[in-house]
Amino acid sequence: MAATKPKEQLDDEFSALYQAHLKDVYSYAYYRVGNHHDAEDLTTQTFIQAYRHFERAQRESDGRPLRPWLIRIAHNLAANHYRNRSRRPQTNIDDTTMLSALHTTEDLVEGRDELKRILEGVEQLSGDRREALIMRFALGMDNREIARALGRTDGATKVLLHRAVKQLEGIVRGDEKEEAE
Amino acid sequence: MSGAADFESLLKEALSPVEPPEDLTQRLETSLQRINQLAVDELEKWELESLADPRNWTRIARPIAAGVVAAGAGTGLVLLARSRSAKKTALERVLKR
Repeated sequence: MAATKPKEQLDDEFSALYQAHLKDVYSYAYYRVGNHHDAEDLTTQTFIQAYRHFERAQRESDGRPLRPWLIRIAHNLAANHYRNRSRRPQTNIDDTTMLSALHTTEDLVEGRDELKRILEGVEQLSGDRREALIMRFALGMDNREIARALGRTDGATKVLLHRAVKQLEGIVRGDEKEEAE
Repeated sequence: MSGAADFESLLKEALSPVEPPEDLTQRLETSLQRINQLAVDELEKWELESLADPRNWTRIARPIAAGVVAAGAGTGLVLLARSRSAKKTALERVLKR
């Protein structure tokens, strides 16, 4: 059985982890929920959850990077966030317009029509395809990391990414039907 | 758009990483410290409550009793070994005579 680390050491290591990955988790959260307020909340909840299970995750990771584990926590929390929100009839936010809305209002794409079309296309993809693209292009994760975050095999992730890019390209070029088939 | 590589670079540009607010780190650290403090308070409260309830005394006393028994057993073994060694020395003395 592995010896338990002193608490100070664990806290230092956790501090290093969140400093290294705060931007990743925040970016993922932002593209998932579509606004800064919820993204901050989701990021904070992700790290609180991670802190609770950090020692075990370190033990079980076997030296592998913990970024996919963090993103998986964020992914599960975001899923719960949407599930809870869908139970509340008073909230009326249209998920499908969030990505393009946040980019147009906050000038992240600096008015470039092509990039706007791409973001609108990303919104039309299925959940897994959209998430895989966020992980690859916003966070720069490789296939293996994305596979771990999504709980898939490396091969299945490679196919998922390939199809996501192809479908998106089709949507942006205007031949969506062809790609979807 | 000329090719797959061009499209992927556009995609990378469209999905650029988002900088978290500057004070998020500070707020996160405050939240984690609060959780730590809550855990410490909870543990202290639980210990005090356990001590106040006589039904828990046996539970608390059990590890102490186990420690006492273990220490006693250790002492017993040392005494037994000494006694055996003393008996052996006495026997050797008798045989030498």
